[in-house]
Amino acid sequence: MFWQQLVNGLTVGSTYSLIALGYTLIFGVLGIINMAHGQIFIFGSLVGLVLMTSMQMPLGVALVASIVISAILGLILEYAALRPLRKKNVPHLASLISTIGFAILVEEAMHKIFGADSRAFPQSFGDKTFDLGIIQVRSVDLIILGISLILMFVLHFWIQKTKMGKAIRATAENADTANILGINTNMVIIVTVMLASALGGVAGILIGMAYSALIPTMGMTLGFKGLAVLILGGVGSIPGAMVCGVLLGVIEVFTVAYGDSSYRDAVAFGLIIIILLLKPEGLFGRKA
Amino acid sequence: MDILNPYNLQVFTFILLNSILAISIYITLSTGQLSLGHAGFMSIGAFTASILSKQADMPMFIAIIIGGLAAGIVALLIGAPTLKLHGLYLAIATLGFGEVIRVILLNMKITNGALGLTGLQSIGNYLYDFEKAMGLKAQSLGISVIQMKSLTTFVFMLLLFAVVLFLTLRLNRSRLGRAFEAIKADETAARAMGLQVAYYKMLAFIIGSVLAGVCGGLYAHITTTITPDDFNYHKVVEILSYAVIGGSEVVWGPLFGALVLTALPEVLRGLAEYKMLMYGLIMVGVMAFRPHGLIGTDTFQKLFRRRKGKPGNEAKEGM
Repeated sequence: MFWQQLVNGLTVGSTYSLIALGYTLIFGVLGIINMAHGQIFIFGSLVGLVLMTSMQMPLGVALVASIVISAILGLILEYAALRPLRKKNVPHLASLISTIGFAILVEEAMHKIFGADSRAFPQSFGDKTFDLGIIQVRSVDLIILGISLILMFVLHFWIQKTKMGKAIRATAENADTANILGINTNMVIIVTVMLASALGGVAGILIGMAYSALIPTMGMTLGFKGLAVLILGGVGSIPGAMVCGVLLGVIEVFTVAYGDSSYRDAVAFGLIIIILLLKPEGLFGRKA
Repeated sequence: MDILNPYNLQVFTFILLNSILAISIYITLSTGQLSLGHAGFMSIGAFTASILSKQADMPMFIAIIIGGLAAGIVALLIGAPTLKLHGLYLAIATLGFGEVIRVILLNMKITNGALGLTGLQSIGNYLYDFEKAMGLKAQSLGISVIQMKSLTTFVFMLLLFAVVLFLTLRLNRSRLGRAFEAIKADETAARAMGLQVAYYKMLAFIIGSVLAGVCGGLYAHITTTITPDDFNYHKVVEILSYAVIGGSEVVWGPLFGALVLTALPEVLRGLAEYKMLMYGLIMVGVMAFRPHGLIGTDTFQKLFRRRKGKPGNEAKEGM
């Protein structure tokens, strides 16, 4: 039982990590919290899911479609809600509000296009079960864990080693200086926002696989969880987002298994409040 | 007498209620703290007041006041540690607090879970009993009883709003208000000037929360039905958008925001389906073109300067 729950927690948690990475990247580079993240990637995932169910496309195509759609929405967000606020000397509240506004727009669009019902995920793949003695692992769990771990490591090395990754880190450190040193910061910001949204798109599809359904309103709930992970791990810390996402998933699954399932959605924020009281900079954060 | 139909009066009543809510977020914002927990405080006030007036048979207005105080006490408990946080951390922590409160209310017996509380006393009924006792009947004014009740509620809210607004304006001009302003402008400088920053921030947070709690109690006794989901994230966004779209620098900003955002969906009744869509568009648009909100400190100055400027110009021409 314990080990089985641990595996479930790791699976769900790894998708939370992907969501939180989206927040972390945008916060790191732009210094804002993107309240539209959840809605953006659920929109992308729903497009992917519809392609799978109504057009019988394979998982890979759906994944690519949801990545592309999420990234495009991220691009629209950048042009519509973020860019206009960068030029003038605006209060930091403004970007929060404009992303909330964008979130409402995406949510409404989702309701008009997909309806409010939950959409079932096809069960045709990943229903094989591997018996590993104390635990049984469904192949869908392996797919989820595999994809998210691979993505996390690729992202880590991409940011550490490549030229674009270095540009992102430089912009995160100090956008003005980076600009003076010849980095096209606007380009970097566009890449970051699209990358963050695309990561969310993958997470959305994986969550659909884990829960075997997607609901438009999930964007908000999952967005909140990503936000919780962001604070838990320390705002702007990439390793923090990765580790704490998995941690939150495990704690949540254990709460449901050994405690009261109705408090599931309060776990994330309960943890935030505790962590903010004990260690306001987050588990992996630098002291401000 | 179309203006006196209960539906219109209900809309006006809600404009006033939302205006008080807007003031509550304005007071918290006036020290530069962004709280996303106001819906949480509202729900504490609403449920405390309803339980007291329904189950414990307490007089309604005392119940509402106790509801507000309960919200204030919770604000004190949650505020003591969280107010050390800045900007976005505070925002997320209070947002989290609101969600935790909602989940707790959803799971408690006394709040009746997701179904919430129904059949609460209404302010209209309550006050109408007084009016009848004083010999003021609807028939003698030539309007129906329902109209009379809605009108009573509206007048009561108008008076309450006037009092709250008056106190807020007084507050702004007082020592306290200037301290708030100083902290908003530059916390470090304010501390260097010897202001007890933590104390003032806490005070602003609690005043805002008590007001939000009272609004919750009023809301419960105007609609007579509440569920935990009345106070979810959408409510947070609604309250926040009054302040941010209207502008949070002077109190007229949030009031203007509350007026416009409450009235707009009612005026454009045919487009009610697109209410949230409009909200979203307005939020993105206003932030892009006027990030400080529609009404700022300069708005009135400009108006007055123009008025004062004219006689000056005429005088020059006369010379």
